[in-house]
Amino acid sequence: MIAKLGASARLLLGHDPAGRNLRTFPDDTFIVSYPKSGNTWTRFLVASLIHNEEPMTFLKADKVIPSIDTQSRRYFKNLPRPRVIKSHFPFDPTYKRVIYIVRDPKDVAVSQYHYQIKRKVLQDGHPIDEWIVRYVAGETCPYGSWGENVGSWLAARQHDPGLLLLRYEDMIRQTDAELIKIARFLGIDPTPERIQWAVSQSTADRMRKLEQKEAGQWESTKDTRKDKFFVRSAKAGEGKATLSPVAIAQIESAWGPLMRWLGYETASAGGADSAEQDRSFLETVLEYPAR
Amino acid sequence: MNYHLELMVKKLLGTDIAERNFAIFPDDTFLVSYPRSGNTWTRFLIANLVYPRLDVSFKNIERLIPDTSSQSSRALRRTPRPRIIKTHEYFDHRCRKIICIVRDPRDVALSYYDFQRKYRHIEDGYPLVKYVDDFVSGRLNSKDWGTWGENVASWFYTRGKSKDFLLLRYEDMMEDPVRELARTATFLGIDSDPARIEQAVQRSSADRMREMEKSQSADWVATKNHRTDIPFVRVAKSGGWKEKLPEECVAQIEAAWGETMLALGYELVSATMHPMIGVRSEKQVVR
Repeated sequence: MIAKLGASARLLLGHDPAGRNLRTFPDDTFIVSYPKSGNTWTRFLVASLIHNEEPMTFLKADKVIPSIDTQSRRYFKNLPRPRVIKSHFPFDPTYKRVIYIVRDPKDVAVSQYHYQIKRKVLQDGHPIDEWIVRYVAGETCPYGSWGENVGSWLAARQHDPGLLLLRYEDMIRQTDAELIKIARFLGIDPTPERIQWAVSQSTADRMRKLEQKEAGQWESTKDTRKDKFFVRSAKAGEGKATLSPVAIAQIESAWGPLMRWLGYETASAGGADSAEQDRSFLETVLEYPAR
Repeated sequence: MNYHLELMVKKLLGTDIAERNFAIFPDDTFLVSYPRSGNTWTRFLIANLVYPRLDVSFKNIERLIPDTSSQSSRALRRTPRPRIIKTHEYFDHRCRKIICIVRDPRDVALSYYDFQRKYRHIEDGYPLVKYVDDFVSGRLNSKDWGTWGENVASWFYTRGKSKDFLLLRYEDMMEDPVRELARTATFLGIDSDPARIEQAVQRSSADRMREMEKSQSADWVATKNHRTDIPFVRVAKSGGWKEKLPEECVAQIEAAWGETMLALGYELVSATMHPMIGVRSEKQVVR
């Protein structure tokens, strides 16, 4: 009852975390991804693209592009429009403009596993093969499984001009080009200086140094282990290199068609072949007609 | 502020409408659909199947199979488990066991048009062409459920292959309700004794439901205080769009959701189809 009273008082004052109860506007842009898919890096890039007057930090990025799960409804209400908001939710019809970042689920698995060790959810040396079973079932994360999260957005919005789909791997390989897409989507003139500035503010090295300074205050790192880092590999391909064949097989058996549709390599078919791309999304992901 | 004060009091009392804010149990089954897709009929079919000794009616349906958009979080908490819960919500990953009802969106549009007149969301003379434009672009009162394409695809793709997902097409249910209810019974782990199925189908017939609506519309949350000259239980037919829906509306719906429609086995008739779909229009049904 006391807990309920507290929750109700927060609700009344608008201090409750916004979450699904956020009132959205058509001019809001959401940076959405499954967790551990490059959302924080993208926030750094976008925040420095919008605010190019002073150096970007974790705390500042949090203010400029607040997270739907940590900031209050009141904070969002007072945020000047057009707002840019971070979210990890599966499909939400009230988000009209969405930058969705997707990452190879094998790499996401490795990253999420390490982050759970950092957050003391898992202990050092926890058997990863056992953990992967729960990861594939969507039990390690409050935002659904990777396939549900990615799939719900693509199924609902893949043809919608209000969705900009970016692959983390492309952002790593050609950061400038992908950031120019983002700038255009946001209606920002992508001048070389502006792009250059945003990229320079968001390098893995710079973010690693900032993390050392800000880890104690930043929402995603405070009260977590100091000997493990939030900004970790900042690379693509770690899953393939480090996960066991059994773990990889589990991931591919759950989401193989969706992975191939997104151009991710799987053992059963290497990379994106044109036949996959020619088929419609639903046909592909449902492997339909059933074989 | 008043709204939030009211919500706070309701939350304290547990009388707030459940929507997506209620506790879900692993043994729950969800009856999901976009509005106007046969959800109420299916609710009656299932309620009559599960409770063969009860007189299922609009008076008790909310207790038997509660609706997340009209029942309180407390009412849902008090529903005996295992619960069967009705919802029009878009994909919610917390729900494990799903019965998903889909209906041809060209018929859904027509049914929704009448329903929104019944609810006085639109006037009688509201142009149908304009209405379909609202329907496709999501400018309806129910915008929080997403558009038909968003709502259906968000469930169908994420769970379509799961063994805990049963897809029912309204059209198949119209064609052979006994067969479809038997599939549902198997899915729910209920004895699919033909006599029991037959009884549930008869007790849920359109005629019987129309009769009940006449005498009970003031007792049911979804019909009370709404226009009584437009019935909730409407034509109970499929394919009405072929005669009643203007060609341009058909084209608009197919251009927006053609891919999902094809995947669900709905043939496309219009020449302007989505570039991703190409010219495949032979009947293909997912099972």
